[in-house]
Amino acid sequence: MNKISRKTISRNERDQIFDAFGKHISKGQIRYLTAGHLDILEGERDGIRFKESRSGKTYIDGFSSAGCFNVGRCNPQVIQALETAADDYDMGTYGMLSAPKIKLAKLLAEVAPGDLNRVLLCGTGADAIEGALKLARGATGRNEIISMVKAYHGHSGMSLSANGKDYYKELFEPLMPGFCFAPFGDLDAIRQMVSERTAAIILEPIQGEGGIHVATDEYLKGLRETCDQYGIMLIFDEIQTGFGRTGRLWASEHSGVMPDIMVLAKSIGGGLYPNAAILYRDRSELTRYVDSNPEFHLSMGGGTDLGCIVSSSVIEYIVENKIWENVAKMGARLLEGLRRLEKENSEIIVEVRGRGMMVGVEYKEEFMGILMADCLATHGMFAVYSGNSPQVMRFQFPTTATAEDIDEALEVIQKAIKLSKLYLLILGPLSRIPFFRAMFNKGDILVTFNVWLRKIAFWE
Amino acid sequence: MDALIADAQKVFGKGFVENLASQGMAWEESGRDRSVVYDSNGNEFIDCYCSSGTYNLGRKNPAIAHALKQAIRETDQGNFVMISREKALLSEKLARFTPHTLDCFLFTVVRGEAVDAACKLARGYTGRSELITVDGACYGQTGFAMSLSERSDKKNFGPLIPDIQTIPFNDIDAARRTVTKKTAAVILEPVQAENNCRIADKDYLVALRTFCDKTGTLLIFDESQTGFGRTGEKFASDYFGVLPHIMIIGEALSGGMFPIGAMVFTGSVKSFFDEHPLIHLLTFGGHDVGCRVAAAALNEYDQVKPWKNAQKLGNVLKERLKEMAGSNSKLKSVQGIGLMLSLEFGSVEEAEGFCRSAIQQGVLVKRGEVAKYSVIIRPTLTINDQDLDKIVTGIEKALSA
Repeated sequence: MNKISRKTISRNERDQIFDAFGKHISKGQIRYLTAGHLDILEGERDGIRFKESRSGKTYIDGFSSAGCFNVGRCNPQVIQALETAADDYDMGTYGMLSAPKIKLAKLLAEVAPGDLNRVLLCGTGADAIEGALKLARGATGRNEIISMVKAYHGHSGMSLSANGKDYYKELFEPLMPGFCFAPFGDLDAIRQMVSERTAAIILEPIQGEGGIHVATDEYLKGLRETCDQYGIMLIFDEIQTGFGRTGRLWASEHSGVMPDIMVLAKSIGGGLYPNAAILYRDRSELTRYVDSNPEFHLSMGGGTDLGCIVSSSVIEYIVENKIWENVAKMGARLLEGLRRLEKENSEIIVEVRGRGMMVGVEYKEEFMGILMADCLATHGMFAVYSGNSPQVMRFQFPTTATAEDIDEALEVIQKAIKLSKLYLLILGPLSRIPFFRAMFNKGDILVTFNVWLRKIAFWE
Repeated sequence: MDALIADAQKVFGKGFVENLASQGMAWEESGRDRSVVYDSNGNEFIDCYCSSGTYNLGRKNPAIAHALKQAIRETDQGNFVMISREKALLSEKLARFTPHTLDCFLFTVVRGEAVDAACKLARGYTGRSELITVDGACYGQTGFAMSLSERSDKKNFGPLIPDIQTIPFNDIDAARRTVTKKTAAVILEPVQAENNCRIADKDYLVALRTFCDKTGTLLIFDESQTGFGRTGEKFASDYFGVLPHIMIIGEALSGGMFPIGAMVFTGSVKSFFDEHPLIHLLTFGGHDVGCRVAAAALNEYDQVKPWKNAQKLGNVLKERLKEMAGSNSKLKSVQGIGLMLSLEFGSVEEAEGFCRSAIQQGVLVKRGEVAKYSVIIRPTLTINDQDLDKIVTGIEKALSA
């Protein structure tokens, strides 16, 4: 664990923290997390685990803050780089040149596929997505954007407009027009939707929040062809798939299909400092546009000196240690183990899929997502289901996981499945009644039911 | 340094570098300390840009840097969906710092996003969709923020967020006519920094709040630049004595050591997030390390109280700049309050020319984003008398160049 050991906190302190959070941020969030047994306070954190602040109980991190910890949690090399940097740097003057910014931009250009040599530094993933969409619209002079059903690109204005789930959008409409949604993986739908008015097609090479859907090589090649035919910009959102998570440095490497614009964030921050970037191809439509409109997307808070120093250290670590190789190996081990569990529990598991260390287990019912989160937490793993597809449990361990770690994780998952079956003794029969099933799949009701169930759960 | 420029042209583009050069900024920012920055040759520049109002406690503030170093030894980002000690502690601390009734928070990262969050919150809370903004505004670069801002290039980005109305700044009648029961929110910056530091009339803000209260509309103040002492008071809402329902604050929250900002709102508006948890998510929002850094920055703000210095020296600086305007026809006027001042020139070319000269004289300045014929003077709030002299001398020399 960390060198400086933190004592566990008292019950009082924990209550105070929850009270303050509920008062100033959201009571609803506390209720929701509690229902899934996810009202955990992260204390010490290291490698692929963290300890709960009150009890000291150890959890395997199966979420990695949606894929942020690609160099492990609290990576000493990256910490060292930031520690040293904090003596000499701050966020830097926005928009001005500095050694750290140039170094990172060059590194990114070097490790990015093909001629994705041009960089725009941003502050967060959603911010970078906005920049990418603006770039596509501005460079092509067209307005229409094709996004995917169940797509997840962020919650800010334009990125939300490209989001494929109603829950996140309904209450905030009207959003930006000009976005249409194609079923993920469906080339025919794409061919019907494109025209000379289409500026871009945007997708995640593996849909994260959408439920770990892996785009096939055929699909991606088809998209590339269509984009080439119509002069459309192909945008890959590699915010979650990038930096080794899928077993190659970039998800696009599996298919060899190169996008025109690539968006990066999350793990680029090493789990320590926010940063994000857009990479785009050295092709005239794009470079001409950016050269004539250099201030088209100013991310105040992005492209900071400290952020760039951290990100450079992250990239260096990933490349030096060929992180993706461990990911591929461990990912394969994980998938193999999960497929065994799938066979043994085929009455509740529909499918296991994924790539590298971005893996999903799809259950029969939506409500099983929250139920499994609860059971996993009981047995010492923190995992979260896909936001846009609650029946899919995601496993995204920090990429430094070893074979022992994976085996331990599989044991935990097996125990959790056993426990969930106990719950299902009650929930199962009830859920066959359409009325109850509808209730359970509505997060609210299940939350209440689960809280009650936990109160009476004598087997815990 | 030529190598750096060549590299920048390759990765960021020729246009990017040319744009910097036209503003006198195509050089390597190498060192920084308190109120100044240095280029790679050791030349000193007094920072009067401060990344649009971020470095209120000085560049590379040692106490805050120390907190950052400690934080990364003890913790990391955390899992963003969880409850965390850091978020809880920061919110308690911040609640004691922000104006009374504004004690609920959503922690953000970049400016535009916080504005977007505010617009969404207003629409969600009121159940209405109309958003009213004013002319001359500059809120940021993301969807809602961009749609609400005044910028000529936004027509290049296709159809923007619908149901937005723009009314003239400081026009009470226009506001009275336009703010209705169909309006979700009215948003403005109490001082439009990028627009020649145009200041709202107190009466106007009072009227806006009244119209909002009458119609159940939310009033949003974007205090990304006015916040944390720049006006001479802690927040512009303190300066004008008018409270909004939602307030946006920027990276001044961390004193510029970490990208963290916040959307600040009232307890009643917060009920929306109670009823709809996890509906607005930010992977980097409420970053455990960032929260600790911000908490340390708040300690500094409480100790140093830089708004007092901003008021005192702001007045002195404004007077001296006004004298200059009197004797130099290039300088049309001096606007602003506290250490948020603007020099008005006759044209964009003159403003950019002035910036290049001022930087040569050791004063780092940038023209406004909206009123590009204006040059905004935004030094760190901890400048002393010598710094002020440097600023005045530098500007004087630049004017006569």
